[in-house]
Amino acid sequence: MGRFWSLIFLAVPVLGVGTFAVAPFFNIWLPADVSEHGRSVDSLFMFILWLTGAVFVITELLLFWFMWKYDSTKSKTPAKYVHGNHALEVVWTILPAATLLFLAIYQMNTWADIKMRRPVMAPTVEVVGRQFEWRLRYPGRDGSLGTPDDLFLVNDLHVPVDEDILIQLKTMDVLHSFFLPNLRIKQDAVPGMKIPVWFKALETGEFDIVCAELCGWGHYKMKGRITIESRADFDAWLEKKYALQEQTAPPPEETDTAGL
Amino acid sequence: MSIASPQRPHSHILEATHVRHSKSSRPVLEFLSHYVFSKDHKVIGLQFLFSTLLWFLIGGLLALAVRWQVAWPWSDVPVLGKLFEQQGGQMAPEFYTMLFTMHATVMIFLVIIPILAGAFGNFLIPLMIGADDMAFPTLNMLSYWFMWPAFIAFGSSFFVEGGAASSGWTSYPTLSTNVAASPGSGMGQTLWLLGLTFVGVSSMLGSVNYMTTIILMRAPGMTMFRLPMTIWAMFITAILQAFALPVLTAAGFMQLADRLIGTGFFSPEGNIVNNTLTSTGGGQPLLWQHLFWFYSHPAVYIMTLPAMGMVSDILTCFSRKPLFGYRPMVYSMAGISGLGFIVWGHHMFISGMNPALGTTFMVSTMLIALPSAVKTFNWLGTMWGGKLQFTTPMLFAISFVSMFIIGGLSGIFMAATPVDIFIHDTYFIVAHFHYVLFASTAMCVWGAIYFWFPKMFGRTMNEFWGKVHFFLTFIFLNGTFFTMHILGAVGFPRRLADAYHYETFHHLQPLNAFMTWCAIGMVACQIIFAINFFWSIFFGPVAGRNPWNANGLEWTTPSPPGHGNFDFQPIVHRGPYEYSVPGCEKDFLMQTDPPRVLPAVTH
Amino acid sequence: MNASTTLTGSGHGISSHDDSHGDNGNDPSGHSSHGLVLQYQPGLPLSRGKLIIWLFLSTEIMFFAALLGSYVVLRFGALVWPKPHHVHLSEPIGAFNTFVLICSSVTIVLSLEAAKGNRASRAKLWMLATLLLGSLFLGVKGYEYSAKFSHGIYPWSPRSRVFEKPDLYYGSAVRARLGEPEIIERLKKLDETPENQLTTEQLRARTSLSQVRKIVLNTDQQPFDLAVVADQIMPLATETGHGESGLNDTFTWLQLPAVIPGGTMWASTYFLLTGFHAVHVVVGLIVFVILLTMTLGPKRAGTIEAAGLYWHFVDLVWIFLFPLLYLF
Ligand code: HEA
Ligand code: HEA
Ligand code: CUA
Ligand SMILES: [Cu+2]
Repeated sequence: MGRFWSLIFLAVPVLGVGTFAVAPFFNIWLPADVSEHGRSVDSLFMFILWLTGAVFVITELLLFWFMWKYDSTKSKTPAKYVHGNHALEVVWTILPAATLLFLAIYQMNTWADIKMRRPVMAPTVEVVGRQFEWRLRYPGRDGSLGTPDDLFLVNDLHVPVDEDILIQLKTMDVLHSFFLPNLRIKQDAVPGMKIPVWFKALETGEFDIVCAELCGWGHYKMKGRITIESRADFDAWLEKKYALQEQTAPPPEETDTAGL
Repeated sequence: MSIASPQRPHSHILEATHVRHSKSSRPVLEFLSHYVFSKDHKVIGLQFLFSTLLWFLIGGLLALAVRWQVAWPWSDVPVLGKLFEQQGGQMAPEFYTMLFTMHATVMIFLVIIPILAGAFGNFLIPLMIGADDMAFPTLNMLSYWFMWPAFIAFGSSFFVEGGAASSGWTSYPTLSTNVAASPGSGMGQTLWLLGLTFVGVSSMLGSVNYMTTIILMRAPGMTMFRLPMTIWAMFITAILQAFALPVLTAAGFMQLADRLIGTGFFSPEGNIVNNTLTSTGGGQPLLWQHLFWFYSHPAVYIMTLPAMGMVSDILTCFSRKPLFGYRPMVYSMAGISGLGFIVWGHHMFISGMNPALGTTFMVSTMLIALPSAVKTFNWLGTMWGGKLQFTTPMLFAISFVSMFIIGGLSGIFMAATPVDIFIHDTYFIVAHFHYVLFASTAMCVWGAIYFWFPKMFGRTMNEFWGKVHFFLTFIFLNGTFFTMHILGAVGFPRRLADAYHYETFHHLQPLNAFMTWCAIGMVACQIIFAINFFWSIFFGPVAGRNPWNANGLEWTTPSPPGHGNFDFQPIVHRGPYEYSVPGCEKDFLMQTDPPRVLPAVTH
Repeated sequence: MNASTTLTGSGHGISSHDDSHGDNGNDPSGHSSHGLVLQYQPGLPLSRGKLIIWLFLSTEIMFFAALLGSYVVLRFGALVWPKPHHVHLSEPIGAFNTFVLICSSVTIVLSLEAAKGNRASRAKLWMLATLLLGSLFLGVKGYEYSAKFSHGIYPWSPRSRVFEKPDLYYGSAVRARLGEPEIIERLKKLDETPENQLTTEQLRARTSLSQVRKIVLNTDQQPFDLAVVADQIMPLATETGHGESGLNDTFTWLQLPAVIPGGTMWASTYFLLTGFHAVHVVVGLIVFVILLTMTLGPKRAGTIEAAGLYWHFVDLVWIFLFPLLYLF
């Protein structure tokens, strides 16, 4: 039976790697990426995938090989009476240590780009989470947020392509998380905090906004849409929405009390 | 020179099974004090084992309900559907949030932690170090009995107004502190916190007791570096418990205060939930997350270290070889527990905490993979050049190693801050922790049950059905959980009652249905285990003192050991893994076997 | 040690079973269930009882570390934090209590010494002293708490009279208070009191009070206006600044809402920290009472020592709390 069990364990790396190899062909893979940050996040993901993939395959193959070779019903040699090996211990401590430290250092720049090096500009739009919708607030004609001429929308985010976008993220009630799968952006919205989120979209299109932090029974349906469009289209859209708001009701007053 | 290992006669097994008190005139009281309120560590360990297995079943059924909703949202739920008759047999989304919250709560606080430390810790510690019981038997008994109020608090919360806690096992404020935020944030959340406190008291009583026992009650000759890895693991786990748990207890009290008397530790000024303004403020939601993870990160090692210890014991026994790198194994466990206290922030990379802290936590998290790497390589080294016997416990132990590699490596993706931005709160995380918690730890628990079953009940479990159980569980668990990785790569979010209305995730339903079928298979094949388990208790082949030819102290006692454990004074002469010693007739030397070259008794 | 590995019991003794399991941690000989008393390798030169107390105390340290850490985070994360006098904290009282607790730590050591020296009655006396000092501490604490309560400072805010800022809610609360029938009654009485029956302080307070009433009542029912005038009410209502010695102190029955920036969070943390400390004091006192029912001879020295360790810890926590809460 030892052979049988060895093969079962051999199936782990084979099917494991197989799953990852096949998944992209069924479109079960990283969703289309349309942002600048996305490029670096994806390449880091792939880098770690290859690295851990190699470790995975090597260790699992060793496991299989030992099971195959040292099966007591097949192998004639007596068990080795060893208590360890100092040199080996040193090698397999230092090698992973170096790899892991390198990995950590290798990530830092991208992390800083996405979360620390905030572009110097006024926020393009304020996004406020609320059970269970995304409230948006664009600065009106005067270009600054928090003035009476702000434009209020719900769940329908538009941004211009190829430009730095700075979002001011807030929440009125509980935690939410502003997740743009196609832009590799995710940021929790925390009650009492104003958190900046920035990105630069490189392609036009319409994508999902997902809430990625449990926020109550309706968490699953807290869905918005982001439309990335050319500057001209964006301006035209903004103008249209603005005109619409002027005609209809005054801005919803709850948004004024949204924290801080 | 040859040595015979003393195989103790075991003609008294049956007497030992039923500790009788012939003079007794009050049978009910006797029964209570021996089997219910017993202070014997073995009885307490078995009580823990039976209760946690029962809870395991409950947690598994909750998991199935979760899986059902994920695969076929808004379809009629079988069996459970009767509960939702008002909604036409479908699960309400708020019920879904309660389901996964309670699934995780039961699995973590009522299954994995107590089965490792409570069941195996209790049963094995005195036996393996050569003590007649724990240092404080009454505390030990209390530690078991505190589990029941916890279970009752968790369990009853389904039936109170608003239902069970529903803010995830992480219970982040302000969702959890604000009654208006969610139906489950009412009484259910209060009961959840109460249950957590009871579990905490239980663990605390256990951990100080274990430490005292291991420090003061080792048999003569049993130096710290002759302890089996299981004991080292239990010892280090107890330290982790003792230092991490009080923080969660404090945080739990603060959340209770926020909820019951209206303090504002975790809610900021001007917080409006569901159109009602929170009356208090000035607090910080992130403070809870810091306190919670300060406990719960060490807790994930509390849920894995004992398993690592037991795997080391099983692996050496069936490789017939000494453990490769005993000291590095001990040091790496110490390293894990030390580093475990400074990595909690990796759960909060995108929580809004200062991103510079994120960088720091990334470095420490990467480093904590190092001791795990050392352990993995040493397990491989242990198998290398051995004489492997593929018994059921061995298969489970090997699968621990194999699966831990998968679960650990997915941790590296998440430790990488930029990558975590994308995969945080997706099924990639769910895959990660089920690999380490279920595929590794729970698999090891099964291995340990098969391994120590003879010592617990004096009989062995059926090997054939054990292997069938292993085979099916192993296949189904990988079918269920491996696929979660690629779901996560699409960004499929966790905790969603229905994700298919998103364009991005619309096409993933068939894959989820596949996973659910596997999960159903996984739970179903536990029937084999349950039957094997109960059948063997009564009808399994009688085991001698040492059915596996292992060499720890526990195998020198009768199976099962009587009250007081040892029928002779154990004296320890060597480390715990002396298998295949050259020049020795048998391929193992018990720790109690007298030294070959006299005089070496230094005691 | 007699390194004998011969079989002694071989199972016979197992059925004659004697449940002599006690939790007496100071008895290292363990349990003698079937004639065989197991020997152990000494790990540390400590008795079981002492070791477990130390371990237990280290978990306690983590518990209070979490509470203190939260306090520090909340305090330095807050925009404003009240000064001790804003919240009626009295440093001398706190210092006195610190002194009381330190004394009690001394008396318990003396009790242990006496017990070790087989002077049981003297040990009991010192134990009694410790109990009294601990109770004194609690009494003073209770007095301090009641002083807070009487100023409307509770750990929670809905029922509290403390407001973070002079805003709409504050304004309405003042109006609501002044509108209560019993207060109207007392105010009328106050207005009718001839000037010569009042101290100058009370006179001054009466003037401020009537101004407040004028503002509050002149405002029409629009809540928005109350928000505006809250700013004017606040300094008048507190007379000499933030609650230092305001109308509430002059007329204790008045109980007007007060503005203490950061006050509710301050109160939450203050009651949290001192509350859990007080719970520990109470546990200690219970232990002392139990000990007092026993003969405190050398046999009890271990127990007294364990209780003493615990008490020193409780003392130590207070030594951290006192400066953090009262002085900074
Ligand atoms: C038993 C439980 C257990 C264990 C052992 C681990 C182990 C690890 N975990 Fe895991 N983790 C959880 C349980 C566990 N985790 C749970 C329950 C959650 C989710 C909680 C929630 O949100 O609900 C979680 C979440 C979690 C996160 C947060 C993700 C997020 O929410 O965004 C992160 C991030 O860093 C992480 C990292 C790690 C790492 C680096 C390890 C390391 O210890 C792993 C180390 C092991 C290896 C790396 C494999 C073996 C090594 C080799 C073969 C050597 C060579 C390797 C290299 C050179 C790379 N875990
Ligand atoms: C130890 C922990 C543990 C274990 C064992 C499991 C086991 C399982 N878990 Fe769970 N899970 C968590 C911890 C665990 N989980 C946590 C922490 C979360 C996060 C919750 C949150 O987001 O807050 C989670 C969330 C979670 C989700 C995500 C929900 C969501 O985010 O929307 C899913 C979905 O598939 C899932 C599925 C499963 C399945 C199918 C199993 C199966 O493996 C279950 C298999 C069960 C058995 C096989 C039962 C066996 C029974 C016996 C052995 C009894 C025999 C009886 C006797 C002898 C008496 N779990
Ligand atoms: Cu909003 Cu989830
Ligand atoms: Cu962690």
